[in-house]
Amino acid sequence: MSDITPHADPRGTDARIEVRDLVLRYGDATAVDGVSFAIAPGELVTLLGPSGCGKTSTLRAIAGLETPFSGTIRLNGKTVWSATERRNVPAEKRGVSMVFQSYAIWPHMTVAENVAYGLRVRKASAADIASNVDRVLDLVQMRRFADRPASKLSGGQQQRVAVARAIAFSPTVLLFDEPLSNLDAKLRAEMRVELRELQRRLDITAVYVTHDQEEALAISDRVIVMNHGRIEQIGVPETLYATPATRFVADFVGAANMIEGEVTGPGRAGTLRFETRTGLPLEVAAADGRRTGSLVALRSSYIQIDRAGGAGIPGTIHRRMFHGDFIQYVVDWPAGQLIVRRPPTEHHDEGSAVSISFAPEHCVLLD
Amino acid sequence: MTNGKSGAGRPIATAAEVDAYATAEAGPASWLPRLRMPLPRTWIMLLLLVVCGALILYPLVFLVTESLNIGDPQVFPPEELGWLNYTDLVNEPHVLLNTLLVACIATVLAVLFGFVQAWILTRTAIPGRARLERLMELPYYMTPLIGALAWGVLLGPKTGLVNQAWRNLGFGSDLFDVYSPWGIAWVMALFEGTVAFVMISAAMKSMDPSLEESSRVLGAGKLRTALKVTLPLVAPGVLSATIFVFAEMLGSFAAAFVLGIPGRFYVITTAIWQAALSYPPDYGRAAAMGLSLFGAMVITLGLAKLIMRKGSYATITGKAFRPRAMEVGALRWPLLGIAWGYIILAVILPLGALCLTSFQRFATVIISQMQFTLANYETALAMGSLAPAFGNSLLLGIVVATIGVPVIGVLAWIIYRARLPGAAAMEFVLMIPQAVPRLVFGLGLLWAWINIPIPIYGTLWLLGIAYFTVFIPLGLRTIAGVVLQVDPSLEECARVCGASWGHQMRTVTLPLLRPGLVAAWLLIFIASVRELGVSIFLMGPHSKVVAPAIVNSWLSASSELSAAMALLQTALVFVAVAILFRVARRVRGAEA
Repeated sequence: MSDITPHADPRGTDARIEVRDLVLRYGDATAVDGVSFAIAPGELVTLLGPSGCGKTSTLRAIAGLETPFSGTIRLNGKTVWSATERRNVPAEKRGVSMVFQSYAIWPHMTVAENVAYGLRVRKASAADIASNVDRVLDLVQMRRFADRPASKLSGGQQQRVAVARAIAFSPTVLLFDEPLSNLDAKLRAEMRVELRELQRRLDITAVYVTHDQEEALAISDRVIVMNHGRIEQIGVPETLYATPATRFVADFVGAANMIEGEVTGPGRAGTLRFETRTGLPLEVAAADGRRTGSLVALRSSYIQIDRAGGAGIPGTIHRRMFHGDFIQYVVDWPAGQLIVRRPPTEHHDEGSAVSISFAPEHCVLLD
Repeated sequence: MTNGKSGAGRPIATAAEVDAYATAEAGPASWLPRLRMPLPRTWIMLLLLVVCGALILYPLVFLVTESLNIGDPQVFPPEELGWLNYTDLVNEPHVLLNTLLVACIATVLAVLFGFVQAWILTRTAIPGRARLERLMELPYYMTPLIGALAWGVLLGPKTGLVNQAWRNLGFGSDLFDVYSPWGIAWVMALFEGTVAFVMISAAMKSMDPSLEESSRVLGAGKLRTALKVTLPLVAPGVLSATIFVFAEMLGSFAAAFVLGIPGRFYVITTAIWQAALSYPPDYGRAAAMGLSLFGAMVITLGLAKLIMRKGSYATITGKAFRPRAMEVGALRWPLLGIAWGYIILAVILPLGALCLTSFQRFATVIISQMQFTLANYETALAMGSLAPAFGNSLLLGIVVATIGVPVIGVLAWIIYRARLPGAAAMEFVLMIPQAVPRLVFGLGLLWAWINIPIPIYGTLWLLGIAYFTVFIPLGLRTIAGVVLQVDPSLEECARVCGASWGHQMRTVTLPLLRPGLVAAWLLIFIASVRELGVSIFLMGPHSKVVAPAIVNSWLSASSELSAAMALLQTALVFVAVAILFRVARRVRGAEA
């Protein structure tokens, strides 16, 4: 976890959110199993993982909507949940805000009433309420809908109102529970940009839960990958993609080929020699001083294909699928089959002989 | 059941201490968060359980002990226990046979009505389908009591309006005598037809039309598709509707009472009434019959549920489809006639007959002999004991609904939202009055409150408590419908926005539940105003209510007066129903 964060060291005392050894159980089932992380002010951190991995439970525990089994949660340096200190600050006293997956727009209120709710609860003056509601509705471009009943909004509009409501009372921490999962693909891509823009502009600390790895990589300062209630890896998106720490991360984040085999000795120029099950020798980088491993993860988009006769490993194009933004090839090569993604400008016919090549540092050695 | 979630191996001492800490830290003003903490909530739940358990289970316990009492039936506690009351039932089988006869005829007729209506209204393209479907709710609000009175007026021997006309046409005898098993079954079938319609049309609507379409695409003809695909998919719905209607029929009282008693034709419910209220009362026999009936109904209803769950294949997806309506060509006019025919027989004709009767001195259809008068309405609203009966019923309806809705609202919120341990057991207990025939529950209440040293027997207080007890399931189901619709995140969001529990309840939860609460109020009001089975046992000389008063007037005074009273009661109910429909439409409009 030697990441370069754009902010102060989150493990220091100035962390805005600090979760330590969090355990959360539903009956006998353990949803969150000893999770620890810290988030610096102004940072957007994503909890990424498949459904049931404990990411939403963790988020809800931070909000105060779930009662953990053990562990500590600190917000702005103040303990809001601690099993040993027997402290449990109720949700409404934590000063966090949240955008729900279902948006949770109250259908019996207008857009403006929805947005003003948090301000009214805090007994803000009428003038304050009016100016803040206008300000945040402007931010999400929903001002002209202010007096519309909230039940008469489209999904995308409800999403914007939910965000406006969440930021209206200037919370220190904003929690997002899969906020974009109910939108169609195009709108999702647009809102992703807008949310990131808004978070940067208002300098809000945010925790963002999603199961969409593409979304996580695009929007986050750092990503926490979770599986079975535990953290698999924490890192900036580029690190996560280039050097996954576990087989799960390599598989879940981005598209990767998993090549089984074993390290047989040193290779050229500080690399290791890795022999696949089929006996094909590969050169892999010895990252982090690792010298053993039985698996190599190789990203599909890091693989080059050239016409046959090059210096690479020989192979044959088995299948070609045109995806628009890229072409996906299934290539037969001595170690089985390889998924390769190339730009749509690079064209190889099915059945043609090719030469496959990739850099040793793109072969990530795993257990 | 009090420690489930907060128990087992938790490293912190008790939830109360956490609560106290959080509250202490947050300042003295925030006592409200305590309400959602486990410990006080557990106490509230226990208190409610005790109160509801007492109200619901206490009469049943009395019923069970009394049914085993073979000593002096009026002594409590019983001096001798035994099975004699039960064995007597089998030794005199004519009541059971009568009950089965009426129930079987009525079930066959009701399911026939329901199936035909459901098929016409969901599967054929007849004009005005949507309006007809809404009208199909009306027979349900007519009640078997009004139906029985009306058909008594129409087809009573000699004096019945239709029979008069028939004789006037030159026939020597009556067209049909409604004071017979067939008459009782006919009246019940018209009423239960709506119930069968609702269940069968639900089964037809929940069927994915693509199931039939794929059969057609794969080359099967219309008939083959109907026999091989449609029928097997709808069959479980029809079967469970049949069993459900049969069970309801076993426990039905009003029609058998109005149309059976004059001819001394007894089914089990009227036999219970007879045993309990004749002199000397035989509570033991009545209780034994009541419990046997309860047992038979529970078994049949359980069977209906089982069939619905096991046999329904993939049709129940919770999704409502609108099956493609079949083009029926010229056939649509006869079909339209059949559909309207049911509404006419079940609603328009009975109400018309009551209306015609209530405005005459002596009911007749022979125009030259008609003498119109308002005297019956004057009597109904002025006569010594009748005017108070209307006043009492209105008062009970308003008070029971007004107190019942908030109490049941809290119960519903606790059971369906608060995720407390033991919620399922609590729901089970609270739903018991639904499974016990009203008359049997009334008997239990009678016996229980006679033997309790609180002198409220024969007062409106007891009627109020009894109404509340038996309408708990009705209120709970209605309110649960909206509670389950409200996404928990709507409430959670209010908390995260900084609202306390009380503020969240006031600004979010209650406004969202309002339509359900209003509907529950109206339904409880309607049910109270029409209540017969419990009232007939618990009414005292100074606490008369409408439905039993109508029945007494029918048996002892004139049918013209009874018709006027029945119409006044029906008018009251229909006003409430009209408001209910308006509320329901507004809710549906807001969702769309």
